[in-house]
Amino acid sequence: MSSDEHYKEIIRREMAKLKTPVKLKVFTSQRIEADGSKIRACMDCSQFMTLLRIYEENSNGMLTIEEMSIDDNPEFVKQYDISRVPTILFIDNNGREVIRYLAAPQGAEIQPFIQSIFTFAGAPNYYEATIKQNLNRIEPSTIKIMMTETCPYCPQVITIANMFALASEGKIRTVIIDINHNQDIGQYYDAAGVPYTIINDQKTITGMVGPNEILRSLIGGNIRVSY
Amino acid sequence: MFPTDSLGFDPEKIYDIIVLGGGPTAIGCAIYAARFAMDVLIVGKTFGGLIATTHIIENYPGITSVSGPGFMEMFREHMQSLNISYISDEIGSIEQKEDYFVLQSFFQQFKARTICIATGSERRKLGIPGEEEFTGRGVSYCATCDGPFFKDKVVCVIGGSDSATKEALFLTQNAKKVYIIYRGEEIRAEPINKKRVYDNEKIEIIYKTNITGIKGDNSVRAVIFDNGKEFEVDGVFIEIGSNPNSDLAKRIGVNTNEKGEIIINRKSETNIPGIFAAGDVADAPFKQAITGVAEGVIAAYSAFDYLKEMEIEY
Repeated sequence: MSSDEHYKEIIRREMAKLKTPVKLKVFTSQRIEADGSKIRACMDCSQFMTLLRIYEENSNGMLTIEEMSIDDNPEFVKQYDISRVPTILFIDNNGREVIRYLAAPQGAEIQPFIQSIFTFAGAPNYYEATIKQNLNRIEPSTIKIMMTETCPYCPQVITIANMFALASEGKIRTVIIDINHNQDIGQYYDAAGVPYTIINDQKTITGMVGPNEILRSLIGGNIRVSY
Repeated sequence: MFPTDSLGFDPEKIYDIIVLGGGPTAIGCAIYAARFAMDVLIVGKTFGGLIATTHIIENYPGITSVSGPGFMEMFREHMQSLNISYISDEIGSIEQKEDYFVLQSFFQQFKARTICIATGSERRKLGIPGEEEFTGRGVSYCATCDGPFFKDKVVCVIGGSDSATKEALFLTQNAKKVYIIYRGEEIRAEPINKKRVYDNEKIEIIYKTNITGIKGDNSVRAVIFDNGKEFEVDGVFIEIGSNPNSDLAKRIGVNTNEKGEIIINRKSETNIPGIFAAGDVADAPFKQAITGVAEGVIAAYSAFDYLKEMEIEY
């Protein structure tokens, strides 16, 4: 089995287990051809949507990928500050953006993406109780994670950060950035190693980082827990 | 891990064995424990461990050649086929009760009749000026992760081990020049990798040299040799061995040697009944994935035996 087929098989196997409906928004750019038909104008968008349709088609109708053109939806573009395409958004029931992907969920990145979909759909979140206990100590925060497809530790850091965001009742937002496809962002933050975690555009952590360190960085002190 | 993996975790259950770690040793132990019909859970900070950062593995019998991430993907598939749950967390303390242990993290409390410590090791640091300052800005401990940032750049690898030579070989895929800087007189790589290094025109070895500092501005610009000479490079990959992750073991009274490695016997037993150890964290002189897995497997069998002797139903 080729590597691509292997990963497709994982997507099929895991997405078939999704039992609750969930919707993701994907922003692309489209242009109108002379005959009136629309085609995707951004370079990566078609490949990106083909990949996301694999997730959708194997979810027994539970996952809906809503593709929105930035050209036709200026109000959403403004509301969610969409500055590049393609962009995937996880938006909660209160209209709050929880997770933003500026990265294609392929290869090793399939795992955190699927786990995020399941947790977004209501599956148990291992970190939820502790995040909620410390919620009043967490300021509204954005965790940016720079990753590459070949980075072995990126999926774990992304999983932890996304689980934190999904448990945080809108206080934490994550942005997952593939710096091979968004080199300007990597250069802006002087990233020369991955995973590269940036908390509130202030604290940066290069390399593998566990849940304790991320939570400590968010609350600026010791973690409080009661069992 | 996938969502369905962590769904299998039960906070109320007293597990027959909790395996601490995330590398091949930990997973090997868990696979055998599951096949002995033991309730098993893996709790680890880093799935894959250090070997996940290796760009190529060619010495694991039965697998001709595989990347580090690919190798761990195979372990994950095997684990999933046995419904073994993996939790990404760090255990801070272990308390011994009458016939089980309580393991505590910031996020959860776990209970287990036996424990296998397979927490591996972490990369050793040089401890020189500039190292910490430029980590992530030219100083790296993972060529697989960060090699692509150095396309057409000049980099150096510090160290002379087999791992160091493999890092250097991987870096030649992107860098225009790779220097191996080693304090010894001859690199200690496996002969096959030594030949590859000698045959690679992009690699040059600088022997009998230590690094005393790393300099730069926004990123690394040079390393300083012990003769005071500044040597211009864009990246520094440090591969000088590793230290065992045995702090937790030490805190709970597990005996370690002068290197901090957990002392185990041929049954992977430690000095504390019910606590086993295996892999890079233990005191075997030759540390490989295959030897770690073997120790982990023996730990699972010894834990199985221990439960039988204690007449604990599993």
